[in-house]
Amino acid sequence: MSLNFQQVYAKIREIGQTTAARQQRLAEVRQRAQAWLQSLADQNEALRARIERARTIDPDLRCALPLAERLDACYPPAQESLPTVLIAADGSQVAPDHHAPLLYSLLNVGAIVLQTGSGETPQVFTDSTLWYEEELYGENGLWSEEVLAQRRDLAERRKLLELAQAFQGTAPEACPLITLTDGPLELWGAKEGSGNEYRRSLETYLAVLSQLQAQGAIVAGYVDKPGADLLVRLLEIGGLEDEKMAEVRSWRPLRGVTDRWLVGQFLRPGCRSAIFGLQSGSCAHYRNALALHFFYLNVGDERHPYLVRVEIPRWVAEDAPRLNVLHAALLEQCRLMGSRPYPYILHRAHEIAVVTFEEQHQVEHMLAVELRRAGGEVEGESCKQSAKNLPGRLPRP
Amino acid sequence: MNAIQIGHLLRASTSGFTVGCSVSQLEAPSFGALVRAPLGNDYQVYGLIYDIHIDEDGLVRQLVTAGNISEEVMRDNRERRIVPVEMSALTVGYQEGERIRHLLPPRPPLSLDVIYLCTPEELTRFVTAGRFGYFRHLLRAREAPLGELLAAHILEVQRKTRLQEWTEAAVHELITLLRDDYPTLVSVLGALGEVVS
Repeated sequence: MSLNFQQVYAKIREIGQTTAARQQRLAEVRQRAQAWLQSLADQNEALRARIERARTIDPDLRCALPLAERLDACYPPAQESLPTVLIAADGSQVAPDHHAPLLYSLLNVGAIVLQTGSGETPQVFTDSTLWYEEELYGENGLWSEEVLAQRRDLAERRKLLELAQAFQGTAPEACPLITLTDGPLELWGAKEGSGNEYRRSLETYLAVLSQLQAQGAIVAGYVDKPGADLLVRLLEIGGLEDEKMAEVRSWRPLRGVTDRWLVGQFLRPGCRSAIFGLQSGSCAHYRNALALHFFYLNVGDERHPYLVRVEIPRWVAEDAPRLNVLHAALLEQCRLMGSRPYPYILHRAHEIAVVTFEEQHQVEHMLAVELRRAGGEVEGESCKQSAKNLPGRLPRP
Repeated sequence: MNAIQIGHLLRASTSGFTVGCSVSQLEAPSFGALVRAPLGNDYQVYGLIYDIHIDEDGLVRQLVTAGNISEEVMRDNRERRIVPVEMSALTVGYQEGERIRHLLPPRPPLSLDVIYLCTPEELTRFVTAGRFGYFRHLLRAREAPLGELLAAHILEVQRKTRLQEWTEAAVHELITLLRDDYPTLVSVLGALGEVVS
């Protein structure tokens, strides 16, 4: 037993003792958030002007940007789910590790194409890439987790484009094509993304998005259990007096309230919220038709509402028929998963992409055998890693 | 007739082995079917399938609760996902060269060995080799539903082979072997009554 449970338990007790006070404070803040939402729900123009001012002080400001719809709008699905070509991709990676026996990295992208209403077996795809030794160094040395995550995101989107191009022609006439990824549409690492590697990835990513637009694809990123407070932040800025605008970075009177809770108060099951623009530090990269937008969607039911955020580019946000197709398709996909709504096709993409520990071990073994066969050097794992891998002490009987 | 591959060996002992296969391969083998594992050098092990089971799968459990499973999702799960189907077989004999013995083999098949369904000709050769010696292995197996397994096996022989008097001889042999175990005999005869007129 390495954890000092007495110390931890003392803290747990303390948390328990302050819970009532925290709940009380949260209830008050939530009440304030609801009141502000009510008063600002149709003040879109004034809110946009305030955001414009706030951006001059905090260029990295991250919040919702109101467009034409009321902030508390609630739209039921406009139609039943139509036959659609759904394409989803997901990726998983093994980062280079100095302590591992060999210095390598692995990227696996899994994708699935499912044509709803066709009765046909979905098609699945796997693209695996292995990098070794000198291939793992960029301009800032050995690839970081962030660089690898960018490469993964990019590989996922390229795969989506490749499949969209391949399947666009095979689907029946006028059968819409939706590409889905898990998580935001924004390329990973945007906040710290100032390096050349990031810029190159971003350029490629934007080119991929443009080609998907040219293909007529409906592109969306699905954010499950979103923890963001984009709408709440908008309300905070809306409630900030002009003379205090300089304090916008630290002005957080609604801290603790999430969009998920706030939107959950008015968004009925199956409905989507208003569409908002995404105001963020990286939004300058996503211009015109590629500008990032989002809406909330309640994929739960009357007894168990469940809110998710769906990110879309402007070309989808401003195209009502495409938006309706996406809305209906996401609900249909989530219903397939029963009481834990999540798009079936995204789960399958994850299943295809995931690299298990056994597979990773197998690749290491194959690589080591090949290196030894070719007279190469295999260093073996570090002593630190070796010690960590020792079987643990057995508990006392 | 071409050999039908039903899967690969997962684990084995001298008295039995377990085969893994995908759902798309599941149409060929059936409960009570005779299978073989060729091990090279004119040596192969025979087994009788006594259990087929599909392990629990979290996603399938969730889909079942949702209801209204579309055809695409059904096919995706059956043809594209790795659904762990396992078949357990009792070892009932082996072949060395041309000779079939109803004895336990000198060594079991090895992991990932390919397992084939026996053709009618192979089934005929196996069941007519010797005098039902392989029944010993079936009667000894505590894990198998004996009466059902024997009934399924006899039905398979009736359907796939042209052996005219084999069924009657098999039933007589079983009565002889079980004469001192009346409860088991009654149970077995009850099951055989479904397939023997």
